[in-house]
Amino acid sequence: MAVPKVWIPEWNDWCPGCGNFGIINAEQQALSELGLTPEDVVVVSGIGCSGKTPHFFRLPISGVHTLHGRALTFATGIKLSNPELTVIVNAGDGDQLGIGAGHFVNAGRRNVDMLVILHDNGVYGLTKGQASPTLRRGEKTKSLPRPNINDNVNPIALAISSGYTFVARSYAYDVKHLKEMIKAGIKHKGLALIDVLQPCPTYNDIHTKEYYDKRVYKLETEPGWDPVVRKPEEEGEKMAKAMLKSLEWGERIPIGLFYQNELVPSYEERIATNAPSYKDRNPSKVRFEDAGRYTTIIDDILKEKEI
Amino acid sequence: MKISWEIGGAQGAGVDTSANIFGAAVASAGYYIYGNREYYSNIKGRHSYFNLTISDKRARSISSVVDILATFDAETVFQHFTEVRGVIIYNKGVKDTKLDRVQSMEPEIQERVKEFLESKGLGTTVADALKYVESKGVKLIELDYDEIVKKTAESVGVPMSVAERAKNTAAIAASYALTGLKKDYLMDALKKTFKQETFVKINSIAAEMVMAGIKPMFQLKELPKQGRRIQVDGNTAVAMGKIFAGLSFQSYYPITPASDESVYIEAHQEVMAVDPETGDKRKRPIVVVQSEDELAAINMASGAALTGVRAATATSGPGFSLMAEGIGWAGMNEVPVVVTYYIRGGPSTGQPTRTSQADLLFAMHVGHGEFPRIVIASSDHVEAFQDAVWAFNLAERYQTPVIHLVEKAIANAYSIFDVSELELDRLRAERGKLVETPDGEFQRFKFTEDGISPRVVLGKAYVFYTGDEHNELGHISEDSENRIKMYEKRLLKLRTADREIPEEERIKVHGDADARIAVITWGSPKGAVLDSVEQLSGEGVKAQVIQIRMFNPFPKNLVKKLLSNKEVIIDVEGNYEGQAGVITKLATGIEPTNYILKWNGRPMTWDEVYDGIKLALKGEKRVVLHGGA
Repeated sequence: MAVPKVWIPEWNDWCPGCGNFGIINAEQQALSELGLTPEDVVVVSGIGCSGKTPHFFRLPISGVHTLHGRALTFATGIKLSNPELTVIVNAGDGDQLGIGAGHFVNAGRRNVDMLVILHDNGVYGLTKGQASPTLRRGEKTKSLPRPNINDNVNPIALAISSGYTFVARSYAYDVKHLKEMIKAGIKHKGLALIDVLQPCPTYNDIHTKEYYDKRVYKLETEPGWDPVVRKPEEEGEKMAKAMLKSLEWGERIPIGLFYQNELVPSYEERIATNAPSYKDRNPSKVRFEDAGRYTTIIDDILKEKEI
Repeated sequence: MKISWEIGGAQGAGVDTSANIFGAAVASAGYYIYGNREYYSNIKGRHSYFNLTISDKRARSISSVVDILATFDAETVFQHFTEVRGVIIYNKGVKDTKLDRVQSMEPEIQERVKEFLESKGLGTTVADALKYVESKGVKLIELDYDEIVKKTAESVGVPMSVAERAKNTAAIAASYALTGLKKDYLMDALKKTFKQETFVKINSIAAEMVMAGIKPMFQLKELPKQGRRIQVDGNTAVAMGKIFAGLSFQSYYPITPASDESVYIEAHQEVMAVDPETGDKRKRPIVVVQSEDELAAINMASGAALTGVRAATATSGPGFSLMAEGIGWAGMNEVPVVVTYYIRGGPSTGQPTRTSQADLLFAMHVGHGEFPRIVIASSDHVEAFQDAVWAFNLAERYQTPVIHLVEKAIANAYSIFDVSELELDRLRAERGKLVETPDGEFQRFKFTEDGISPRVVLGKAYVFYTGDEHNELGHISEDSENRIKMYEKRLLKLRTADREIPEEERIKVHGDADARIAVITWGSPKGAVLDSVEQLSGEGVKAQVIQIRMFNPFPKNLVKKLLSNKEVIIDVEGNYEGQAGVITKLATGIEPTNYILKWNGRPMTWDEVYDGIKLALKGEKRVVLHGGA
């Protein structure tokens, strides 16, 4: 397929200083470095500032900007129908942990081979700064009339307990780190989550660049940190260690890979167990008609019901 | 010739299996069958029953008057004895059971039966109910189920618990003996069902034992059968149609009465297909995903459709309510996705296992904002298959969600018909403006004269989708002028569809064109309507039946033309508001003169529609039907 003669990116209307810039830049660099064919990349997003991510790409990709909370559901349908596509979900904390929490959890049960990037800024930016599911109890960001009285969701622990097989955290202003995490997440076989800590310069006056800059540290620098499951019997222990680590928050905030387990079969592999033809027949490339004539033969099916 | 047979018992006691064995036996002898299944939202213990019409011609409805009633328990006698005109087969052991001891019976029903029996000066045992029907000329066949089980167990040499289901076989064997058909067909059906030798033996012995003592009531003869016949219910018919039409992705969340369709597809996850490249037959996969909810189900299907596969979901009212959001996205993004909507009784949980036609207007207006929703409705099992195919073609041609209405009364009913009726060779795939080899960045929403843009699948070009209003490239646009054009473009597709799809395909007209009476109907009541109109025709009352198959775009010119010379227009449908009548009036300016409506959750029987039409012709504006236990 030809590269577009003219690729005119949309004007990016995120606020100056928005963490989304770091995310989209890291994402584009990762895609370039992996040398993926642009037409094979589909970026699926939800609603809110992060939802606009695919529209703002400066690289040619396809974008599917979906509904609030539902990005993962569309992405699942896309990936399972055409497993050759690289499918990346960009969606916010409200998207994935609030209105779409059910989808976030159930996606883990399936382990479809996709990457989920969680834009985690603690607020609902596009509706003017209400508390999101990752904002901690007692915190009062700029536009909240009173301190938040809800407890927060721990995305790392939730993802691990839901069955995600690659769970990491990164920071929007450490583009290099984030880029590497994205590359690893794309290469991972199974469902990957990267929880990206991201300042919202307009509405979150607590979790600012200054706040994170001095707190984040890299897990890989921690002696002995090995989050990869290599044998089935390591699974429980590595899960537990990762979840315990995910509770660390305050003066020091860990980023990096918390947990990875490629021993779990992907959903695609599970489908192929039931329907072996799925292995070598990409559903989107099966010709179900030939010059208008249907190619499927239902004789056997009719025979089952014959009287 | 028509015989009405009914069998009932507690849910989980084998009513379905028994009905299927009996049906298969009679069908093997060359008869057609239409059967309806009624059951509670319950796994075990509540009353369920099957009502069959046996006919030498294609059967399409059930009857309120039952020729043979086979009962497993006391409740079945209490719930159905007044329907019977021929024979009741009952268990000796329940004769003395009193009405108030049947705990599975709802108090309202008990009260009604009690009042009835007392009004006849009778007590409230099964024997009293039987006494009443006997006085009306109904014959009784008493079987001692326990004794049959005991004898069977002894003769095969198994414990009584193993031979328990011989009771069921006794009930169907007695029924079968009444038909006068030779016993081989029943024996074959038993063999086919039970497979395992011991069970075949148990059931064959029980059947022989019972049949020996029963004299035929009918003299049915074996009928010649030409070609292949199949027995399918509505869920299966739709599933088969989808598979034939190339379905590659189906997502669903479990809900009655829709899930059986998806479960069937999952059981047939690989099907044979000819590979056009090589001409070889190869298996192709169908992805079936049981999603976490219906929000996910519709969106997964839409996502799949963006890759070019034929994708669908199936649900019922509560699930469809959740899908409103996703159907809106599919409308905005011009996604060819199919939703099979099995209507059950609402609102809310309503009557999960009972039929309804109350969601027609909802289906036509689902989701906020204006966008084309194509809505079609099937009226029988052959249409259910063909319309599943049609739905995909419409979806791809007009690039918009298609809602295929099938009611519970079709989903859980079955009929026997000739495979040739499916007209497989006639059915063709239409993919609309699908572009196979696009070039670079693609204007997915390009303005065109007919509103339909060239479509490319994900993976073949750089393409954008968004639920926001968008420009031709699929990027967000809030420009007021673009809004006017893009909004019009989407709705223009409905006009294009209205222009292109012949109105003759959007309705089926049956009966006499010169008749002064028109009957408007849609969906499952059609069979009952046609049978009642046929009966009336024999009595010299001529009527033309207009069956609406597509509600959006509505075939307004043809319907208007057909209605314009009618003096009486009777709208027959399964809801309170006469929704098809409302749509007809809106589209044509002509309002039905009379309504025959039913919303008690049970399908229409042909004889109650017949009575209803007679009442309407006498001037009754609104006839409300009550039939069915």
